[in-house]
Amino acid sequence: MQIIEAIFPEITLEEVFTTTSGAIYQSDKESCWYIDFAGKVARFDYRSLLKLKKAIYNIDIEALLLKNTKSADLEIVFICACDHCYVLTTLEIIAMKELLQGTFAMLELNHIIQDRLYRLAF
Amino acid sequence: MKDIMRVKCLISAEVESLLNQQIKKEAQSSAIYLAMASWCDRNGFDGSSTYFFKQAEEERHHQLKFFKYVLDMGGTSISPDITGLKIEYNSFREVFEDALDQEVSVTQSIKSIAARCHKEQDYVTLEFLNWFLKEQREEEYKARRALELFEVIGEEGTGRWQIDKHVGDIKYNSEA
Repeated sequence: MQIIEAIFPEITLEEVFTTTSGAIYQSDKESCWYIDFAGKVARFDYRSLLKLKKAIYNIDIEALLLKNTKSADLEIVFICACDHCYVLTTLEIIAMKELLQGTFAMLELNHIIQDRLYRLAF
Repeated sequence: MKDIMRVKCLISAEVESLLNQQIKKEAQSSAIYLAMASWCDRNGFDGSSTYFFKQAEEERHHQLKFFKYVLDMGGTSISPDITGLKIEYNSFREVFEDALDQEVSVTQSIKSIAARCHKEQDYVTLEFLNWFLKEQREEEYKARRALELFEVIGEEGTGRWQIDKHVGDIKYNSEA
């Protein structure tokens, strides 16, 4: 998070979810998320984040693990109308999936908290 | 932390996915009815052909209603691809049996979306679905009545001609 804030000092970030291999932060001001993963920091808006989720969830990890061809152990995750793309190994895909699952669980939790605590209280 | 997901979209990802499945189901229904209209026309059942053309249009209208709703709520509507349609039927009666089966499966599918909405307390979508639940009463009634014509009139002699003539007259007028 310090690195991102050092690069973009005007942005205030809140940590959504962190694993040993990466982290996702939310910027309330910009209504977007910063994903720190696979050696780069990328900015994702609402639509792009959902598209990334879909792209990663749709990868059949079991098939990748069982594959015994000599092809490279790489998947290119390309998201339509988004500036970023990821070239990930199978292990990185598993790590990315874990990161996204955690993130969406936290976002859901945040939604429940907002609903129950704030929206009902006022 | 701001709840960005909620601000951008009113319905949950699960409900959105169910609604998209329903869009596909309605599109499939429309295509099936069109295939039935084609079969009836080819086999000389003009009245039934007109009836199925009308049904196909209605299903298409339902599909667009769901499509528009998902978009209005901030979700992503997916235009479905329809493949593997049955184009040949063994008998005139089989067409109507399939039509009723199709309606029963649509009702079931809408019921399962409603169940999910109850679970999530998504009363907005539930209210939207009410129109469809009521519509399914009519759809199933019409399909059932059409099939019953085969019992009431019988297929012997000019029976099929009579059935074809009366299919278009089936109306559902319940005020309930």
